[in-house]
Amino acid sequence: MIDIQQVTKEFSGKIAVENLSLTVDDGKIFGFLGPNGAGKSTTIKLITGILPIEQGKITINGFDITEHPLEAKKRIGYVPDRSDVFLRLKGIEYLNFIADVYDVPTDIRKKRIEYYAKSFGIYESLNDHILTYSHGMRQKIVISGVLLHEPEVWILDEPLTGLDPKSSYTLKEMMREHANKGNIVFFSTHVLEVVEQLCDEVAIINNGHIEFLGNMSEMKQQFQDEDNLEKVFLELTQNE
Amino acid sequence: MNKTWKLIRTIVKMQFSLAGKSTSEQIGYAFLFIFAIPFSIFIFYAINGIVGGLYTILEPAGNESFILGLLFISMFVVLILVSVGSILSSFYFAEDIESFLSLPYHPFQIMLGKSAVPFITLYVTNAAILAPGLIVFGLHSGSGVLYYIYALILWTVTPVLPFVLTAIIVMYGMRFLNLSKNKDRMKIFAGLFTFIFIIGINIVLRTNNSSADTGEDLARLIQEQNGLLNTITTFFPTAYLHSISLTDPASARGFLFLVLSLLIIACAFALYLTAGQKIYFKGVLGLSGGSKKKFDEEKITKRIKQSNVLFISWVREMRTIFRTPTFFTQIIVQSLVFPVLFIVVILFDSSGGDFSISSLGAMVEEIEPKRFILAMTGFTVFALGINPASISSVSRDGKSWFNHLYMPIKAETVIMSKVWAAFCINLLTLLVIGAVAFIFVNIPIGIGVIWFGLSLIINWITSVAGTTLDLYTPNLQWTDEREVFKGRLIGILALIIEVVVFGSIILFLWNVDWLEGLWMTSSILTAAFILLSFVCHLILRKVIRTQYYSIHQ
Repeated sequence: MIDIQQVTKEFSGKIAVENLSLTVDDGKIFGFLGPNGAGKSTTIKLITGILPIEQGKITINGFDITEHPLEAKKRIGYVPDRSDVFLRLKGIEYLNFIADVYDVPTDIRKKRIEYYAKSFGIYESLNDHILTYSHGMRQKIVISGVLLHEPEVWILDEPLTGLDPKSSYTLKEMMREHANKGNIVFFSTHVLEVVEQLCDEVAIINNGHIEFLGNMSEMKQQFQDEDNLEKVFLELTQNE
Repeated sequence: MNKTWKLIRTIVKMQFSLAGKSTSEQIGYAFLFIFAIPFSIFIFYAINGIVGGLYTILEPAGNESFILGLLFISMFVVLILVSVGSILSSFYFAEDIESFLSLPYHPFQIMLGKSAVPFITLYVTNAAILAPGLIVFGLHSGSGVLYYIYALILWTVTPVLPFVLTAIIVMYGMRFLNLSKNKDRMKIFAGLFTFIFIIGINIVLRTNNSSADTGEDLARLIQEQNGLLNTITTFFPTAYLHSISLTDPASARGFLFLVLSLLIIACAFALYLTAGQKIYFKGVLGLSGGSKKKFDEEKITKRIKQSNVLFISWVREMRTIFRTPTFFTQIIVQSLVFPVLFIVVILFDSSGGDFSISSLGAMVEEIEPKRFILAMTGFTVFALGINPASISSVSRDGKSWFNHLYMPIKAETVIMSKVWAAFCINLLTLLVIGAVAFIFVNIPIGIGVIWFGLSLIINWITSVAGTTLDLYTPNLQWTDEREVFKGRLIGILALIIEVVVFGSIILFLWNVDWLEGLWMTSSILTAAFILLSFVCHLILRKVIRTQYYSIHQ
């Protein structure tokens, strides 16, 4: 379970996220929506421990990210919005490094590296430097790395950007499968169709505040006049 | 033309903009500027001394034009050397090159835009050497206003010819090199070339004893008017034209030669634009393409194995340093410059000076062991002091720093992997110095082993100290790896701190009478250094706590 309680984050006096509280239960795919600069990436960085929390509390499966960062992080698999990770490493070196960080035994990592790299069509590029990969390939190697230790909580920041239709489909299937096993998938996106297709629960954030939090049927009930998510989104995120 | 001008202005603005640069970097630039003032006064006096001396000797036989010829030829050579690196990096290796390719510009326009920054570098060099040279010559020869007008014109056009010739040759060469495959390797070779060049010049300077023959030739040439100038400018016709025109500016010949100089330069520039239009894009296009290697499944499977996190993080650091051309040249090559120059000084000091093998050998036998070990320790502090690997430990990660933060690795593990990387790279320096000391200077084994042990601790301290400093004031917002090292005072700061701290210990032990003998001195040094490394670790731990999670915000 991801539990965010009353979290506020400021950057040199400017509030990025204010009094944010939300809970994501096991077995759910959670969509996190919002316009650019709304506070999505800041929230994700707070959950993953990239940004320190000054006010409030976040726990991942019972582990406080501030009090027990290593225990909490071991349960997370994070795909950042920027996929320029350790560009001078070869694909295989990167995956091996990630597997070492998350203590994946050799025999298991062999199977998983082969499985994920083949699923995303990057197996034959594993011996090349990540620097030479296209944006989509970099995204795929990062996703493969994240999946190596089969984390209980997946946190993905714009994971479908740059992926080709086949890989995008594969990833969506994997997300569904992962949630069905009782794990959590938390992801931010701008693609509203994906949210409608995949998510069990949705939060819409604007100017650092949650404007809506609930499941898709609740949303439909609350916004009966609007016939699709796009209109709901536009209505909720209008600043004037 | 207007569009080209706008492009040039944009590129220059991007390169020199202070936007996004940290306050410490801005202070660094301000310091460089302040240091440049006394340095330029020093250059002016040095040039005044040389030109004045030569003028007194050469003027009686009408050979003063030789001074100008020499000035223009040296400038030509210096400007070519400066151009090669800056043209390669600006025309081909800059990361922004691809963003210009899609714009509706002719190749020659982009080339002109990319030439602006290297050209400014050349004018700085030109202002530092040629301008004072010409002014000093004018003062000694008592020339009139016309000389200074001609001098200003010729000063303005001097960088053009070396630059365009180098650019044409570089563009022609790059046309045939398969850069898309070897971009990184090319950069590494360029770094190594500079290294070999510095060492080579040193060897030549040290082995080149002035012979009697040269003296005789010189005496003969001095007898005839402009004889010297004719001889040295055989391969540099413009230097000849420039010199004659400046020696006799009021005559028709002076004016004619000036016009001729300008014509030659204009033709070269036209040739440069044509060459740019025809061949520049051929070398640039495909720079970012990857190479298809044969896939070897067995190789992949073999590589998959479990390792310790500290070890694998250290491996990652080492790979990044060795595979990134800028890091390779700034860290590996720089670490080797000092010890290799040390070897050159010892091996090629043919005059039997203070640093020749024989005098060092004699010194080893004469000097008392306490002072010897203290001197060697002091030398090691200088050799390892700057430690470029440590002062770039954190900054090297740049905007990818955040990757360390979401992974379940302790902050201490990440930082220690960086300290170990700096330590291992410095070990190279230490091994080279050690080998020289043992093989050439015949240092007694006992002293050698003690020195090596002490040097290992010094190496550890400088690695921890450098990493701490970089973690305290990192530069993560770079777009080009060179910014990790450029305009930062952190290297000098680290050296100053280390020299002051180690220097005080060494100086104190040097001057106390109660301390005698090799064993006692080295025991006290070891104890002091272990204590120092303990203090450094405490400071590093504190800095990790305050900085590790906040530096990327």
